[in-house]
Amino acid sequence: MATINLVDLHKDYGNSHAVRGINLSVADGELIVLVGPSGCGKSTLLRMVAGLETVSSGRIEIGGRDVVKAEPAERDIAMVFQNYALYPHMTVRGNLEYGLKNRGTPRAEIDRRVNEAAEILEIGPMLDRKPRQLSGGQRQRVAMGRAIVREPAAFLFDEPLSNLDAKLRVQMRVEIRKLQRRLKTTSLYVTHDQLEAMTLADRLVVMNGGLVEQIGTPTEVYDRPATLFVASFIGSPPMNLLPVSALGNTQGLNLPAGTDMVGIRPDQMHLEPRPGATALPATAELLEPIGGESHLHLRLDSGHSVILSVPGRPSITEGTAVTVYIEPAALHPFDSKTGRRTDA
Amino acid sequence: MVENRPWLTFFTHLVLIIGVVIVVFPVYLAFIASTHSGGDFLRGLVPLLPGPNAVENYSKMLFEGISTAGAPPLWIMLANSTLIAIIIAIGKIIISLLSAYAIVFFKFPFRLLAFWIIFITLMLPVEVRIIPTFAVVANLGLLNSYLGLTLPLIASATATFLFRQFFLTVPDELMEAARVDGAGPMKFFRDILLPLSRTNIAALFVILFIYGWVQYLWPLLVTTDSRYYTVVMGIKRLAATADAEPQWHLVMAAVVLAMLPPS
Repeated sequence: MATINLVDLHKDYGNSHAVRGINLSVADGELIVLVGPSGCGKSTLLRMVAGLETVSSGRIEIGGRDVVKAEPAERDIAMVFQNYALYPHMTVRGNLEYGLKNRGTPRAEIDRRVNEAAEILEIGPMLDRKPRQLSGGQRQRVAMGRAIVREPAAFLFDEPLSNLDAKLRVQMRVEIRKLQRRLKTTSLYVTHDQLEAMTLADRLVVMNGGLVEQIGTPTEVYDRPATLFVASFIGSPPMNLLPVSALGNTQGLNLPAGTDMVGIRPDQMHLEPRPGATALPATAELLEPIGGESHLHLRLDSGHSVILSVPGRPSITEGTAVTVYIEPAALHPFDSKTGRRTDA
Repeated sequence: MVENRPWLTFFTHLVLIIGVVIVVFPVYLAFIASTHSGGDFLRGLVPLLPGPNAVENYSKMLFEGISTAGAPPLWIMLANSTLIAIIIAIGKIIISLLSAYAIVFFKFPFRLLAFWIIFITLMLPVEVRIIPTFAVVANLGLLNSYLGLTLPLIASATATFLFRQFFLTVPDELMEAARVDGAGPMKFFRDILLPLSRTNIAALFVILFIYGWVQYLWPLLVTTDSRYYTVVMGIKRLAATADAEPQWHLVMAAVVLAMLPPS
């Protein structure tokens, strides 16, 4: 149980800057998800917290203690790796015990913790098997077990689900969430999968180019993206971004000063008229039915492409003319020069 | 390829059998020779079936040796060869494990240079550097000693290279997991890297044992005391007797015994 504080954290590799001044406070028991595209510095940040990367400048506090100079083992953290990193020559039990043995934990205590973790994760029958005899999902559980037995101040997850197939990934995601709720251990979780990020996080940290774009709860980030990057990164299909000129007459829209871009979520654009909505003429280019809803790719008469997500399977053939209706409240105003929201 | 052509099957087997016969026949002849008495092989008609003198020949070689050829009893040479081969194999494995570990897992200045210097010694086997090596060993007073016999053969680029390639395939995450688990560099080496290298070490031990066993030139140079003779160089002495017919039946008994451990 502990808080994590990152203060003005930097990481430079020669002339390239992987992490450029991160400030973040993680409350006790909170699950923070770091999300962003490849190369945004999220993994580097996590590895700095773990002590696997050195810190160029800044402070890392775990449980109020500055750990910048501490070895990974002295930081009271446990890490779950992308490829599980189980010791292949040891049994599952050996894998769980190894860290405890190195710390000189008494035998009885080791057995108690291993049995407890095995029970929580339902890996009891596999304790005497080697990792190669386990399936991907089972290995993932063992990797989590290795973190649990340590009873650390914080869990660090480095894209732990990216090697699993889609079905198992959903299942393990739910389990990680339940487990974290149950153990109430402070956690940092890195992923590039925004769905994983949205469903797991107490708070999201959206990163890009070594900087934090926005910190907030998943709903805050989805409902009020702070920057153009966040707007385009979070949400599937992504938010439609249009120059204000594409809306035609903007007088009734009450856009804040400085706005030259607007974002509209694909499910906030409608094909039937709404009171007070702006109407935009367009041509249908492609209809993608994906089950319960469909993605409709349109080209506005102003030349911009947009995607609508519409319920059911509308009978629109490609090439027909349609009209799109947008309510003013659904618009997210941005300034494309600063990249930031203008109504913040 | 699954084919059913009886003549082809017959033909391929025939080729293989002929090949095996060509390879095995000299060995068989050596064994037959070692079971006959001294004169039988010089009579012109070479016998092809085992003779009655096997026990006599082998016990004479093993426990008495041929004093006229300056050869000690064979068991001493066999023991020397075994000891030297084991020292060389173990020494090479320890040194190359440690150097590969340093090169792969530690960042230090001139790391790549260190690796290439080790690698370049692959082009300098004992035979190439034999005179300076001999001078060094002689100046250190290591002639006629086990240390002198083994030390120059131990530094091994091949094994270092092999372990380096294997260590490079060990995922970084494994080392990081060990670090988080509180294992320092030596603990990681002992608890994780060594067990993972087990099969490599075993395979390398076999190869290096044979390498040590078949050494001829180096033992010939640094030993003048018959207590340190190895079996491979000893055979040469047996065959080269002065002013007498070589006692082929005894030489062959020694050859057969020398062949046993590596095969």
